[in-house]
Amino acid sequence: MIQMFHVTKSYPGDPPVLRDIHLDIQKGEFVFLTGPSGAGKSTLLKLLFLAERATSGQVLISGKNIARLRESGVPYLRRNIGVVFQDFKLLKNRTVCDNVGFTLDVVGTPRDVVRQKVAQILKRVGLEHKIDVLPPKLSGGEQQRVVIARALVNDPAILLADEPTGNLDPALTLEIMDLLCDVNTRGTTVLVATHDASLIARYHKRTLRLERGTLVAEHDVGLKAAARMAAG
Amino acid sequence: MSAPAKAAYFGRTALLSMARAPFIHVVAVATIAIALTAYGLARMATAQVDKWAAAIAGEVEMTVYLADGTAPEEAEKLVKALTQQTQGQAKLVSPAEALGRLSESMGTFGQALEGLSKNPLPWSIELNVPPPSREPATLKTLAEQARALPMVTGVDYGEAALERLTALSKGLKWGSVLVFGLVFIITVVIVSAALQLAIHSRREEIEIQKLVGASDRFVRAPFLIEGLIQGALGAGLALAGLMALLAWLGPQANEWLRFLDVGGGPAWRPEWALEMLGLGAGLGFIGSLLAVRRFLRV
Repeated sequence: MIQMFHVTKSYPGDPPVLRDIHLDIQKGEFVFLTGPSGAGKSTLLKLLFLAERATSGQVLISGKNIARLRESGVPYLRRNIGVVFQDFKLLKNRTVCDNVGFTLDVVGTPRDVVRQKVAQILKRVGLEHKIDVLPPKLSGGEQQRVVIARALVNDPAILLADEPTGNLDPALTLEIMDLLCDVNTRGTTVLVATHDASLIARYHKRTLRLERGTLVAEHDVGLKAAARMAAG
Repeated sequence: MSAPAKAAYFGRTALLSMARAPFIHVVAVATIAIALTAYGLARMATAQVDKWAAAIAGEVEMTVYLADGTAPEEAEKLVKALTQQTQGQAKLVSPAEALGRLSESMGTFGQALEGLSKNPLPWSIELNVPPPSREPATLKTLAEQARALPMVTGVDYGEAALERLTALSKGLKWGSVLVFGLVFIITVVIVSAALQLAIHSRREEIEIQKLVGASDRFVRAPFLIEGLIQGALGAGLALAGLMALLAWLGPQANEWLRFLDVGGGPAWRPEWALEMLGLGAGLGFIGSLLAVRRFLRV
């Protein structure tokens, strides 16, 4: 589903943010991407929805090299990838319905259908009663659930989440993670960037670790973290 | 989404965003209105000078002077030739008739002419050219052709005044084109800057739209509609201002210009309103296009 071959990302005058990345994520997988701050987790995610372009190497989504995708093709790629941001990226002066509906508006969904679909997805994330509320009136966890709803409303094949629980307390963190797991069980490939070791330990998912732009370990990081948590 | 539904969506988005940031849009509308008022004034001034030129040309009567000793039969032949050539009306004036007119126009001083031993005035032909030929360039060609005829010693039609007025009209036309070109560029820059402020306040919205898969066209459309609406509003405002000015100034100008008998004061043509509407929409559209471009890179 997601593959990278020899992917490097660098900015002029700075050392590479990502170096020779190889990865392969299968359809329907749930994968954690971990590493310290500045390791390149967000940049790697950005390469997948083309907020950034790889300097070299190949980035394949469903077998298609998106590193060479023309600008006109970018919107179509993004319509198949839901993205959850740490800072939510919700418009404060628009209702939950408008915020979630954005994703449907851009693909030309009729107005009445937009509200219907938004109501359905909000029910799935437990916020159906908040459809006409403005984001500032929601808690952090609720706002993040709105973001997840926005990412999922178009039924994307891939869900990318960049530190989705970074601004949340532990209880809300588990709530959001359970929601992401639920999304994954319905067939969506989920890639979550986090530096929260407790999450990795708790959920026992495949984990990729980035350090200074290099992918240093795979597969068993989650299990090791779980063992450390158990020993500690 | 069908095309009308899309248009309705973009229109609704444009109107909502205008309502959310009215001040910026008022600045853009006012700028367009000022530019178009200048355009409308230039249009009226040019048309006014054209009208004066046409009025003066309408009064032009070409007088063709014939050589001394021209026989009346030969003069009649010339009259026929000039009538055919110009499709106008030509009248032969004898030296006696010309002297009589001169004497009459001099009033009491005309009696002095009675003392002349010999009539010094030549045979002449008064030529009234039809309206299509009253253009200065056509009149000049006609005069040159008449001068080339045998027995013709001179041609007079108030050439200098007409040419000066025509040159003024041309100068005014080119001047207004140049001024409008400059005003157009300045307006596009100001409108674009005003819209950039409006768009800057919505950069987050644009970023989110782009991140969830909106095409550039989708993001741009409401802004372009905003530009068109602003242009139309600016044109409307300019038109209202010009109409008010015309209503106030028109009767006074007619009064001032009555003694000139040159076809009245300033007037308005309906097609100029369409021109201004088109130009306003163009200004708003181009301003928006330039403003939104730099915010599409997400």
